[in-house]
Amino acid sequence: MKLELRNLTKTYGPLTVLDRVSLSLEEVHSLVFIGPSGGGKTTLLRLIAGLETPDDGEIIINDHPVEFGSEETLREYRKRIGMVFQAYNLFPHLTALENITLPLVKVHGYAPERAREEALILLERFHLADQAVKKPAQLSGGQKQRIAICRAVAIRPEFLLLDEPTSALDPEYTSEVLDLIGELRSEGMRLILVTHEMGFARQAADYLLFVGDGGIISQGRPEILFGKTGDERVSRFLNKVLKYN
Amino acid sequence: MNSYLHDLPGGTNRKAHLISGVFVALLLAGVFWFGFSRLGYRFAWSTIYEYRLNFLRGYGITLLLSLFALILSLLLGVLFGLGQKSRFLPYRYFSLFYVELIRGTPLLVQILIFFYVIANAAGLNNRFVVGVLIMALFAGAYIAEIIRGGVESIGESQRETARSLGFSPVQTYRYVIFPQVLTRILPSLAGQLASLIKDSSLLSVIAIKEFTMAAREMNANTFSTLEAYVPLAVGYLLLTLPISRLTRLLERKFSYET
Ligand SMILES: Nc1ncnc2c1ncn2[C@@H]1O[C@H](COP(=O)(O)OP(=O)(O)O)[C@@H](O)[C@H]1O
Ligand SMILES: [Mg+2]
Repeated sequence: MKLELRNLTKTYGPLTVLDRVSLSLEEVHSLVFIGPSGGGKTTLLRLIAGLETPDDGEIIINDHPVEFGSEETLREYRKRIGMVFQAYNLFPHLTALENITLPLVKVHGYAPERAREEALILLERFHLADQAVKKPAQLSGGQKQRIAICRAVAIRPEFLLLDEPTSALDPEYTSEVLDLIGELRSEGMRLILVTHEMGFARQAADYLLFVGDGGIISQGRPEILFGKTGDERVSRFLNKVLKYN
Repeated sequence: MNSYLHDLPGGTNRKAHLISGVFVALLLAGVFWFGFSRLGYRFAWSTIYEYRLNFLRGYGITLLLSLFALILSLLLGVLFGLGQKSRFLPYRYFSLFYVELIRGTPLLVQILIFFYVIANAAGLNNRFVVGVLIMALFAGAYIAEIIRGGVESIGESQRETARSLGFSPVQTYRYVIFPQVLTRILPSLAGQLASLIKDSSLLSVIAIKEFTMAAREMNANTFSTLEAYVPLAVGYLLLTLPISRLTRLLERKFSYET
């Protein structure tokens, strides 16, 4: 996946979260954002997801600029990408299976039977078939998040965006969710991921962006960024988050 | 352990429930008996029997009127419940004014104004229709509030999820928001129906021949004063008690689901 940002700017009232951010990446398969809370990681991810409109600048993916012009073009764009939020946003009135089939049928025009088959194949593959007819309230946090990921990949997205997919989970469920993401990655799914799990970031990222202070403070392959030579703000952050790891 | 605690106040003890129920019923009966005996009133039950058809007809009208008003008020409720959040400002302000105006004034005043001013000016002569319209307008404002609250109770995160999945706003309402709102507000809607049935008794002031009017007519014709109200109380209870049971059932069902 080619990703290019040109002078990307996002403000909320007086607050400039992203200040003329530029970036050009050729062929990344998994891109990971790390950085301090409030640094703008979610904002950057939501811009790439087409959920937020920039005040200025451009996002260009595989040589196609994201068209922020109208809600209709944005909706078409969103249909082609998968998004997973921090707090597994399954629809509570639907079963796990229906959560996956609803967008397939209503947004992507699948026949209900085919949507069901596709969803069941996915659930089977990730050992969730037993949960298919359960409502979210009957599922563990880890199961919910894995089903939310299944829903996002069921539409066969061009790439998958994940915003801190494990930080709302009880620690015991973290690894099952990270395992699933790792599996998707090894199958060739392209990922953009925000995480505080530094071990996972190091292992799963082709390329890392350290986001904060209105922009990209540092970037590079994991062995570089986690090495001793990085920016002082990065090493201070890493010292803090890695203290008890 | 948990269920044991739950059952402590006589939860499964049928006998205790029965005795308590009978005790309260007897107590109430005693209070009424005492009240009426102090009045030294002699009930002429036979007059009620003579007027039974009148009562039944009134009962039917009340039922029918409430039913039509309910259907219409649901439409108004959806229209103005959603209107209060509309980005189209005239629609939003119309919705806000409607809800505040109706909820801020007594039903009796609305009935009189609608009947003597609006219906009169519009040349509406059918009293049944006028009654349906008044009750629908009245209940519609309350249902609008119920619906607005229901829609607001569906978190922003779910709309966001639907948006990220490529749902259009209409699809989001249809497949995500409304199904959830419906289960959540069903108990309140049932309660609103019970209120509607009871409140429609006020329509007797404009001589709509509904249930309460039957009692008033009987009183006017026979100089009875009290016995006419007994069938009223029983008749309204026959409608509202099942609804209130249904409301509780729905509430319980919903609380299990979340
Ligand atoms: N919708 C919003 N309205 C106002 N401020 C916001 C909004 N979203 C984010 N912010 C602010 O933007 C900054 C960056 O937030 P965010 O992108 O969520 O950071 P991160 O994900 O790195 O923790 C924070 O200061 C946050 O308070
Ligand atoms: Mg964030």
